[in-house]
Amino acid sequence: MLRRFLQRPEGVAGLVLLAALVLAALAAPLLFPGDPKAITGAPMIPPFSDAAFPLGTDRLGRDLLAGLFHGARTSLLVGGAAALVAITGGMLVGTAAGFAGGLIDEALMRVVDAFQIVPGFLLALAFVSVTGPTLTAVVIAIALAAWTAPARLARAEVLRLRRAEFVAAARTMGEHPWRIAFRDILPLALPPVLALAAVIVANAVLTESALSFLGLGDPNAVTWGGMIAEGRNQIRSAAYLSVIPGLALVTTVISIYLCADALAEAMSGSRR
Amino acid sequence: MSQFTFGRRQVLGLWAALMASAAMPGIAWAAQGGRLLVASDSEPRSLNPAIVASNGVFFIASKVIEPLAEAAYDGLRPLLATGWEGSEDGLSVTFHLREGVSFHDGKPLTSADVAFSAMKVWRALQNIGREVLANLQDVETPDPLTAVFRFSKPMPLQLIENALPVISAVLPRHVYEVEDIAGVTALVGTGPFTFAEHRPGEYYLLKRNPSYWDAGKPLLDEIIYRVLPDRAAAASSLEAGEVQLACFSAVPLTDLARIAKVPGLEVVTKGYEALTYQLVVEINHRNEHLAKLPVRQAIAHAIDKEFVTRTIFQGYATAATGPVPATATQFYSPDVETYAFDPEAANRLLDEAGYARGADGTRFTLRLLPAPYFTETVQFGDYLRQALAAVGIDARIVANDSAAHQKAVYTDHDFDLAVAPPVFRGDPAISTTILVRSGISAGVGFSNQGGFVDEGLDQIIDEALVTLDPAARVALYNQFQRRVTEELPLINVADWTFTSVAATSLTNIANNPRWAVSGWADTELDG
Repeated sequence: MLRRFLQRPEGVAGLVLLAALVLAALAAPLLFPGDPKAITGAPMIPPFSDAAFPLGTDRLGRDLLAGLFHGARTSLLVGGAAALVAITGGMLVGTAAGFAGGLIDEALMRVVDAFQIVPGFLLALAFVSVTGPTLTAVVIAIALAAWTAPARLARAEVLRLRRAEFVAAARTMGEHPWRIAFRDILPLALPPVLALAAVIVANAVLTESALSFLGLGDPNAVTWGGMIAEGRNQIRSAAYLSVIPGLALVTTVISIYLCADALAEAMSGSRR
Repeated sequence: MSQFTFGRRQVLGLWAALMASAAMPGIAWAAQGGRLLVASDSEPRSLNPAIVASNGVFFIASKVIEPLAEAAYDGLRPLLATGWEGSEDGLSVTFHLREGVSFHDGKPLTSADVAFSAMKVWRALQNIGREVLANLQDVETPDPLTAVFRFSKPMPLQLIENALPVISAVLPRHVYEVEDIAGVTALVGTGPFTFAEHRPGEYYLLKRNPSYWDAGKPLLDEIIYRVLPDRAAAASSLEAGEVQLACFSAVPLTDLARIAKVPGLEVVTKGYEALTYQLVVEINHRNEHLAKLPVRQAIAHAIDKEFVTRTIFQGYATAATGPVPATATQFYSPDVETYAFDPEAANRLLDEAGYARGADGTRFTLRLLPAPYFTETVQFGDYLRQALAAVGIDARIVANDSAAHQKAVYTDHDFDLAVAPPVFRGDPAISTTILVRSGISAGVGFSNQGGFVDEGLDQIIDEALVTLDPAARVALYNQFQRRVTEELPLINVADWTFTSVAATSLTNIANNPRWAVSGWADTELDG
């Protein structure tokens, strides 16, 4: 499967970009130690004009490059954590619903419906407005909006698997139903759900940026959305303040999508 | 704002001059016309200036409903009142009303309207009138053009005069005398423009009042306020000629240098002198660290006011020395305790106060709540976090929307430091002393909610409230400024006013210190 993945040029491109981003995120505290929001230079230095600040500085004199690196950290951290929470939660609910069936299934699926009816971004917006913007709140808010797709997928897989012979065998051996559901069936339902992960991460990165753009990101962390929002007021006189973090955001989302695409193709190929 | 000593004789003289100018050949005024398009960044829910005395409301409503007098660069310009005098004992103020003024529905203005507005609206409902007119007992109306305000305690005439442009919008009694005054949405006054239409999310339309008392005015036919909440949109609308005026710094400071070069547009910094905003660090004195004066002094030393005015305000602000801004020439005193930018002194003060730096360089942690109302307050929050980090104080920013911020600071006291933009309203007694006076109940916005108590300061504030002699009053407020800077119940960082961007075809603008919120009767559009 890995070979198939690497045979696809978009997969390789996505992987390289993503690896670079992860590297940047990991290296941020080494390359730019200290608070990336510290005022380190003169305000509004344009990009490529001062060797000390290759991408220039913002209105207060904060280094844009440092912000970009630390922002990658926040974006990937929030994206990854939100996807993890959403998939874990979705898998548990979906597996429980699919395996138990009957009233429990109905009840859980109606909850899923209820969450799907509300536009995900509005849900996140409302949640963060109530709890106050912290990184944890943002992660939970994004997960709240994203857990329904894995839940539905997991349920469908479990419905297919629960009539399998090994399940019947486990039952006759007297295994506890929950043990069958979460130990035997869940791992088998995992791969198709994992294919969703990339999409969820990409969406989470975008949602996090949108929240920060609206001023609902963690004010103590550097976020690309927050950088774009701060640069917006100067968009006519210093467009680079918004454009540079905007490009970073686009690159991240595209690289994740490319990887997801190639992964899905590779998986369907390997199955065939 | 220099002196507000208006004798009856001078007022009469001015009135005579006004009459004479109005009586001169009307042809000179006949070049009327034009529709002025103004950018408006907000849509206030209530537009009644007698109830909500705020700049957002005045910006639109002051053209429709007039006060008794408006601010001028050399004192006050009489509008609905032609003159007034206070009694020796300070217990009454007599207002003489202008003759021949009628409301937009044709009914004449009488002292009954003033009495109704004062007792039922300004004193009972208005955010500022409630404070200033708290001791107003009754308004007598011996004749249709005389209103006598009676106070239960001596009331300085100086304070009343300074408050007039803000608190005294006169409503017609016959329209508003109902159970729920705030529920009346009609906007009827005596002003140069009548309120014609409001399309939510689109515009407000004001039309020329053909029977305005100042004959020949107003000079514009219509004013349209286009609702443009996005600050970037205001700038591009000006450039495209879709609006001719943007007030209250609707154009971001960083765009001003660029827009000043656009032909046909000019940046106007005058016309806001009496609307000075103050950038203030509010302090919660319930916090064990902040209760210590050396800690507050250290914070004051840690702030580079020069950096704040130069970078955050792009030079459109001045460093503050104390609780009264320098634009308030009547009261301002430079003889105060000052705190130079000196991180070393700040570190020393904190060391001596027993706060050693921990392993990570931090002495203690605070919560910092920047008010979300202005870009500048939020940016200053970011700056303050960095400035305090340099002296070993870790100030964690807590971001809230407006409602949550007000609840956290003014009701729940759930903050350590906050950044606030209070307004100086022409007299320290109106909205400045409340920021430091003790004993203010929780929930009162823009007041001392930090729990600061200083008996000496309270005494000065209370004495000034009943001091009738203007010079003695000013002396007390000079003491007030000194004491506030010594005790630091809060830290004043910068004072700023707004800028306008206007089409050069617009004349007679910014000709009084509250111009954006005045009547615009003489504003003219050429071509």
